[in-house]
Amino acid sequence: MNTELNTDKIAQLLNRSTQQLDTRIVSALNLARNNALNNQRAYAPAYAHAHSHGTARWTHWLMPHSTQQWIAGGLLVAAIIGGANFWHHAQEQQISELDVAILTDELPIEVFVD
Amino acid sequence: MRNSLIAVFLLLCLTNPANASAGSWRELTPAQQEALAPLSQQWDSLPELQRNRLLETAKHYPRLTHEKKQRFQSRLTAWSKLTPEQRKAAREKFHAFSKVPAEHRERVKQMVKQNQAIAAQPPASGIPTTTPATQP
Repeated sequence: MNTELNTDKIAQLLNRSTQQLDTRIVSALNLARNNALNNQRAYAPAYAHAHSHGTARWTHWLMPHSTQQWIAGGLLVAAIIGGANFWHHAQEQQISELDVAILTDELPIEVFVD
Repeated sequence: MRNSLIAVFLLLCLTNPANASAGSWRELTPAQQEALAPLSQQWDSLPELQRNRLLETAKHYPRLTHEKKQRFQSRLTAWSKLTPEQRKAAREKFHAFSKVPAEHRERVKQMVKQNQAIAAQPPASGIPTTTPATQP
Protein backbone atom coordinates (compact mmCIF):
# COMPACT_ATOMS: atom_id res chain seq x y z
CA MET A 1 0.00 0.00 0.00
CA ASN A 2 1.30 3.39 -0.92
CA THR A 3 1.37 5.51 2.26
CA GLU A 4 3.07 8.57 0.80
CA LEU A 5 0.94 11.66 1.12
CA ASN A 6 1.66 15.04 -0.26
CA THR A 7 -0.16 18.30 0.42
CA ASP A 8 -2.33 17.94 -2.69
CA LYS A 9 -3.51 14.47 -1.65
CA ILE A 10 -4.23 15.69 1.87
CA ALA A 11 -6.20 18.63 0.44
CA GLN A 12 -8.19 16.26 -1.78
CA LEU A 13 -8.93 13.99 1.18
CA LEU A 14 -10.05 16.92 3.29
CA ASN A 15 -12.25 18.26 0.49
CA ARG A 16 -13.88 14.87 0.05
CA SER A 17 -14.38 14.53 3.80
CA THR A 18 -15.96 17.98 4.14
CA GLN A 19 -18.43 17.11 1.40
CA GLN A 20 -19.57 14.18 3.53
CA LEU A 21 -19.95 16.23 6.72
CA ASP A 22 -23.23 17.02 8.34
CA THR A 23 -24.59 20.52 7.55
CA ARG A 24 -24.56 21.50 11.23
CA ILE A 25 -20.92 20.51 11.58
CA VAL A 26 -20.04 22.46 8.42
CA SER A 27 -21.77 25.59 9.69
CA ALA A 28 -20.12 25.19 13.12
CA LEU A 29 -16.71 24.89 11.44
CA ASN A 30 -17.51 27.93 9.30
CA LEU A 31 -18.41 29.91 12.39
CA ALA A 32 -15.22 28.84 14.17
CA ARG A 33 -13.17 29.79 11.11
CA ASN A 34 -14.80 33.21 10.91
CA ASN A 35 -14.21 33.79 14.62
CA ALA A 36 -10.55 32.83 14.23
CA LEU A 37 -10.17 35.15 11.25
CA ASN A 38 -11.79 38.02 13.11
CA ASN A 39 -9.23 37.65 15.90
CA GLN A 40 -6.34 37.96 13.42
CA ARG A 41 -4.83 41.32 12.51
CA ALA A 42 -6.39 42.90 9.44
CA TYR A 43 -3.32 42.43 7.22
CA ALA A 44 -2.67 38.80 8.09
CA PRO A 45 -5.53 37.03 6.25
CA ALA A 46 -5.23 39.39 3.28
CA TYR A 47 -1.51 38.67 2.98
CA ALA A 48 -1.95 34.96 3.51
CA HIS A 49 -4.80 34.81 1.04
CA ALA A 50 -3.11 36.92 -1.60
CA HIS A 51 0.14 34.97 -1.41
CA SER A 52 -1.03 31.51 -0.57
CA HIS A 53 1.18 29.86 -3.19
CA GLY A 54 4.83 29.70 -4.19
CA THR A 55 7.67 31.65 -2.65
CA ALA A 56 5.36 34.06 -0.83
CA ARG A 57 4.79 31.32 1.75
CA TRP A 58 8.47 31.41 2.57
CA THR A 59 8.62 35.20 2.78
CA HIS A 60 5.59 35.17 5.03
CA TRP A 61 7.24 32.54 7.21
CA LEU A 62 10.49 34.53 7.28
CA MET A 63 8.82 37.85 8.15
CA PRO A 64 9.08 38.68 11.86
CA HIS A 65 5.70 38.70 13.56
CA SER A 66 6.51 40.03 17.02
CA THR A 67 8.61 42.85 18.44
CA GLN A 68 11.13 40.35 19.81
CA GLN A 69 11.52 38.81 16.38
CA TRP A 70 12.02 42.25 14.85
CA ILE A 71 14.68 43.08 17.45
CA ALA A 72 16.41 39.74 16.93
CA GLY A 73 16.34 40.27 13.16
CA GLY A 74 17.64 43.80 13.60
CA LEU A 75 20.50 42.62 15.78
CA LEU A 76 21.35 39.94 13.24
CA VAL A 77 21.41 42.46 10.37
CA ALA A 78 23.45 44.90 12.49
CA ALA A 79 25.91 42.12 13.31
CA ILE A 80 26.21 41.20 9.62
CA ILE A 81 26.77 44.85 8.61
CA GLY A 82 29.27 45.32 11.44
CA GLY A 83 31.11 42.13 10.51
CA ALA A 84 31.25 43.11 6.84
CA ASN A 85 32.57 46.57 7.79
CA PHE A 86 35.21 45.07 10.05
CA TRP A 87 36.30 42.58 7.38
CA HIS A 88 36.42 45.31 4.72
CA HIS A 89 38.43 47.62 6.99
CA ALA A 90 40.87 44.85 7.91
CA GLN A 91 41.35 43.99 4.24
CA GLU A 92 41.94 47.64 3.26
CA GLN A 93 44.43 48.01 6.09
CA GLN A 94 46.31 44.94 4.89
CA ILE A 95 46.39 46.35 1.35
CA SER A 96 47.67 49.72 2.53
CA GLU A 97 50.42 48.04 4.58
CA LEU A 98 51.47 46.06 1.51
CA ASP A 99 51.43 49.21 -0.62
CA VAL A 100 53.69 51.03 1.84
CA ALA A 101 56.02 48.04 1.95
CA ILE A 102 56.25 47.97 -1.87
CA LEU A 103 56.75 51.72 -2.11
CA THR A 104 59.52 51.74 0.49
CA ASP A 105 61.26 48.43 -0.19
CA GLU A 106 64.89 48.20 -1.23
CA LEU A 107 63.79 46.59 -4.46
CA PRO A 108 62.25 48.89 -7.08
CA ILE A 109 58.58 48.43 -7.88
CA GLU A 110 59.47 47.31 -11.43
CA VAL A 111 60.57 44.01 -9.89
CA PHE A 112 57.02 43.30 -8.77
CA VAL A 113 55.18 44.84 -11.71
CA ASP A 114 54.64 42.87 -14.91
CA MET B 1 8.69 49.91 15.99
CA ARG B 2 9.39 48.33 12.61
CA ASN B 3 9.86 51.70 10.98
CA SER B 4 12.33 52.80 13.62
CA LEU B 5 14.30 49.56 13.23
CA ILE B 6 14.39 49.99 9.45
CA ALA B 7 15.56 53.58 9.97
CA VAL B 8 18.38 52.33 12.22
CA PHE B 9 19.49 49.82 9.56
CA LEU B 10 19.48 52.49 6.87
CA LEU B 11 21.49 54.76 9.14
CA LEU B 12 23.98 51.94 9.74
CA CYS B 13 24.35 51.45 6.00
CA LEU B 14 24.77 55.15 5.32
CA THR B 15 27.29 55.67 8.10
CA ASN B 16 29.35 52.71 6.91
CA PRO B 17 32.98 53.91 7.08
CA ALA B 18 33.72 51.94 3.90
CA ASN B 19 31.47 54.39 2.05
CA ALA B 20 33.45 57.41 3.24
CA SER B 21 34.65 59.27 0.20
CA ALA B 22 38.08 60.84 -0.21
CA GLY B 23 37.88 64.57 -0.78
CA SER B 24 39.57 66.80 -3.30
CA TRP B 25 43.24 67.78 -2.95
CA ARG B 26 42.31 71.02 -1.15
CA GLU B 27 40.29 69.09 1.42
CA LEU B 28 43.26 66.94 2.46
CA THR B 29 45.06 67.67 5.72
CA PRO B 30 48.59 69.16 5.53
CA ALA B 31 50.03 65.80 6.65
CA GLN B 32 48.17 63.97 3.86
CA GLN B 33 49.25 66.60 1.32
CA GLU B 34 52.86 66.22 2.41
CA ALA B 35 52.80 62.44 2.02
CA LEU B 36 51.00 62.52 -1.31
CA ALA B 37 52.68 65.66 -2.70
CA PRO B 38 53.85 64.02 -5.96
CA LEU B 39 50.18 63.36 -6.82
CA SER B 40 48.92 66.90 -6.20
CA GLN B 41 48.27 67.54 -9.90
CA GLN B 42 46.37 64.36 -10.73
CA TRP B 43 44.76 63.74 -7.31
CA ASP B 44 41.32 65.09 -8.23
CA SER B 45 41.16 62.91 -11.34
CA LEU B 46 42.10 59.66 -9.59
CA PRO B 47 39.34 57.06 -9.02
CA GLU B 48 37.76 57.24 -5.58
CA LEU B 49 38.85 53.74 -4.54
CA GLN B 50 42.45 54.59 -5.41
CA ARG B 51 42.26 57.87 -3.48
CA ASN B 52 40.87 56.06 -0.43
CA ARG B 53 43.68 53.51 -0.59
CA LEU B 54 46.32 56.20 -1.02
CA LEU B 55 44.93 58.01 2.02
CA GLU B 56 45.20 54.78 4.00
CA THR B 57 48.77 54.43 2.76
CA ALA B 58 49.57 58.04 3.69
CA LYS B 59 48.72 57.27 7.32
CA HIS B 60 51.96 55.27 7.54
CA TYR B 61 54.10 58.08 6.08
CA PRO B 62 54.91 60.01 9.31
CA ARG B 63 56.42 56.85 10.87
CA LEU B 64 58.77 56.17 7.94
CA THR B 65 62.51 56.87 8.06
CA HIS B 66 63.89 59.69 5.93
CA GLU B 67 65.22 57.23 3.35
CA LYS B 68 61.90 55.39 3.12
CA LYS B 69 60.02 58.68 2.81
CA GLN B 70 62.16 59.54 -0.19
CA ARG B 71 61.55 56.13 -1.77
CA PHE B 72 57.83 56.43 -1.06
CA GLN B 73 57.52 59.78 -2.77
CA SER B 74 59.75 58.92 -5.72
CA ARG B 75 57.68 55.81 -6.51
CA LEU B 76 54.24 57.24 -5.82
CA THR B 77 53.61 58.64 -9.30
CA ALA B 78 54.66 55.45 -11.08
CA TRP B 79 52.57 53.42 -8.62
CA SER B 80 49.46 55.53 -9.21
CA LYS B 81 49.81 55.14 -12.98
CA LEU B 82 49.58 51.35 -12.80
CA THR B 83 46.27 49.69 -13.52
CA PRO B 84 44.38 48.18 -10.55
CA GLU B 85 45.22 44.71 -11.92
CA GLN B 86 48.94 45.55 -12.06
CA ARG B 87 48.88 46.84 -8.50
CA LYS B 88 47.03 43.72 -7.36
CA ALA B 89 49.57 41.49 -9.11
CA ALA B 90 52.43 43.50 -7.58
CA ARG B 91 50.96 43.04 -4.10
CA GLU B 92 50.64 39.31 -4.67
CA LYS B 93 54.22 39.07 -5.92
CA PHE B 94 55.54 41.12 -3.03
CA HIS B 95 53.60 38.99 -0.56
CA ALA B 96 54.94 35.81 -2.15
CA PHE B 97 58.47 37.25 -2.17
CA SER B 98 58.24 38.09 1.53
CA LYS B 99 57.64 34.39 2.23
CA VAL B 100 60.89 33.39 0.50
CA PRO B 101 63.76 32.60 2.95
CA ALA B 102 65.81 35.68 3.88
CA GLU B 103 68.96 34.22 2.33
CA HIS B 104 67.28 33.88 -1.08
CA ARG B 105 65.75 37.32 -0.80
CA GLU B 106 69.17 38.83 -0.15
CA ARG B 107 70.56 37.06 -3.21
CA VAL B 108 67.77 38.45 -5.38
CA LYS B 109 68.38 41.94 -3.98
CA GLN B 110 72.08 41.68 -4.79
CA MET B 111 71.27 40.56 -8.34
CA VAL B 112 68.86 43.44 -8.84
CA LYS B 113 71.41 45.91 -7.47
CA GLN B 114 74.05 44.56 -9.87
CA ASN B 115 71.68 44.88 -12.80
CA GLN B 116 70.81 48.42 -11.77
CA ALA B 117 74.50 49.30 -11.52
CA ILE B 118 75.16 47.90 -15.00
CA ALA B 119 72.19 49.77 -16.43
CA ALA B 120 73.35 53.01 -14.79
CA GLN B 121 76.86 52.75 -16.27
CA PRO B 122 77.65 55.06 -19.24
CA PRO B 123 78.33 53.41 -22.62
CA ALA B 124 81.73 51.68 -22.81
CA SER B 125 84.59 54.12 -23.62
CA GLY B 126 86.64 53.72 -26.80
CA ILE B 127 83.63 52.97 -28.94
CA PRO B 128 82.61 56.13 -30.74
CA THR B 129 78.93 56.81 -30.52
CA THR B 130 78.97 59.11 -33.55
CA THR B 131 81.07 58.91 -36.69
CA PRO B 132 83.87 61.52 -36.76
CA ALA B 133 83.63 64.25 -39.37
CA THR B 134 85.73 63.44 -42.44
CA GLN B 135 88.49 65.84 -43.42
CA PRO B 136 88.28 67.25 -46.92
